[in-house]
Amino acid sequence: MSVKVEVIEGGVPHQKILIAGLVLAVIGLYLSYLNVIVGTQMFAFFGGLAAIAALVWGSHTIKVLASYGIGTGVPSAGMIAFGSGVIAFLFATKYGVLAPIVAIVLAAVIGAILGYLANEVLSMHIPVMIKSLTEMAVVGALSLMGFSAMITGSFAFSPQGSFIFSLTTGSVKVLGMSLPSYQSSYIGGALIATVFLLGAIAIQHGFNACLGPGWKQDRMLMLVAECGFLSMMMCAIMSVALISLAAAILSFIVGLLGWYYTYTKYIELSKRDAAAWLDAKPIPEVEGH
Amino acid sequence: MSALGGAKPAGGSTGIAPVPTLISLVIFVIIFAIMYMYGGSLGVTALIGIVIGGLLIGFGVHFVPVGGAPAAMGQAPGIATGVAMLAAGGGLAGLFGGAWAASQGTLVAVVTGAIGGGLMLAITCFFVNFVYIYGMGIPAASGKVKKDPITGDSQPEYKSQGTEGHGLPFVSFVGGVIGGILGGAGGTLIYLMLLDVYNASLPGVMKATAVQVEPIAVSLAGMFAIGMFLVIAVLAAYNITGTIEGPHDPKFKRFPRALIASAVASALCGVAAIMLVMV
Repeated sequence: MSVKVEVIEGGVPHQKILIAGLVLAVIGLYLSYLNVIVGTQMFAFFGGLAAIAALVWGSHTIKVLASYGIGTGVPSAGMIAFGSGVIAFLFATKYGVLAPIVAIVLAAVIGAILGYLANEVLSMHIPVMIKSLTEMAVVGALSLMGFSAMITGSFAFSPQGSFIFSLTTGSVKVLGMSLPSYQSSYIGGALIATVFLLGAIAIQHGFNACLGPGWKQDRMLMLVAECGFLSMMMCAIMSVALISLAAAILSFIVGLLGWYYTYTKYIELSKRDAAAWLDAKPIPEVEGH
Repeated sequence: MSALGGAKPAGGSTGIAPVPTLISLVIFVIIFAIMYMYGGSLGVTALIGIVIGGLLIGFGVHFVPVGGAPAAMGQAPGIATGVAMLAAGGGLAGLFGGAWAASQGTLVAVVTGAIGGGLMLAITCFFVNFVYIYGMGIPAASGKVKKDPITGDSQPEYKSQGTEGHGLPFVSFVGGVIGGILGGAGGTLIYLMLLDVYNASLPGVMKATAVQVEPIAVSLAGMFAIGMFLVIAVLAAYNITGTIEGPHDPKFKRFPRALIASAVASALCGVAAIMLVMV
């Protein structure tokens, strides 16, 4: 049987993080749906917050899985999470307002089958394998959906009534008239590829950077949130192309504030956990060189 | 040993477990049945292509000399990174190359993708050896075989004590190129199959002309191909528990079960990708 190299000592139990991440992500996604109800785009940033909630949960899942020594490195976990998540996410976009629920169910099915293949067919025999891959597929789908809702401002309003159209249809102004354009859209413009990697890097970096004997749960989760907010800022910049400037700036400001808070917190926690630290100032400019 | 190599899971056996294999095959058949019910012959043809592409990727990963963290310290042979990174580098380079040639027919595009992937891995392998030999000052030596199966060069004399070998012996280099060729071809095949489906169905679904939906079709097919590529590559990486020296490594013999897993995984992801425009 496999050897568990690190046990989770102290901190919040994984089950709690799972539930909190799932609930917050779904609430965040539906809060971004306020855009449709109120008829504005200002609530787009809730999508980004939903994605960050999912990412924090996902990074802890990676920690649980990787503590069994999967042997392939931590980044591979992020890649399989988003690789299976993107498939569930894109399929779920057909279902309009139900998209988040369909994404969760489909991602869970895909993840469970992949986990079964890894565990039984490939003889990994890791007790948490099926559960972890299921969770990670859901995380991948939810974070992609969150960032997508943030960039496009919606996940369910279009004349045709489904998310995929709002993702695939942008508009160009020609001689004062607004024409639909498929090229300047979220999927047609391949913004989704950038979001894919922004999420995949954010989900795996936290554990990859914090693993080891000095691992502390709060420090890792803070780093993940920080990476998530960095990704959110990037998504806010990309969203300028698709939603109103004011909404994009609001998203950016929310991302910036969140990033500043989590970054200072992370530095604080790093100093707390470090044996010693030295504030190495920037290299001084030598006069007269 | 590092955290990556410290605790190897027990997946050391090379055999195929009969019951899980049977269950996977049942899932595989069910997926094809669903595809036939909703997608008809167009869907099934595309799904067959996707499964072939998945098999190529899953098989190709076993050729690539993945060294992981120990290789970064010169303590194990192979390229000093994980499968996910190598797959993203080699396979996606092939996929992009193949996608560029997509308009020239399936065969040309798949061959272009194979060349792209093989070239990328050849360049990677070359510079890995360049850095090992001229940068770190260590010779290339395999820890798994006494003689290089291709050149017949003796290996143990060059292997440092306490390591599992280091650098990329010739057979690993060749393995890397073969892996890149298979991965690039597989990724491109998946992309082409999906592109055909989307080009055929999207104009009807979105009520637009074929020219208008082309960016959507290309982007969707590319995104799904990347997702499937990463899923299959990581599953294959689980099969070799992270590191492998190349086709001469004893772990290479585990590939049959990776083929089963790749076939089911690619069919599963493929059916979702095709049903996006079918249902």
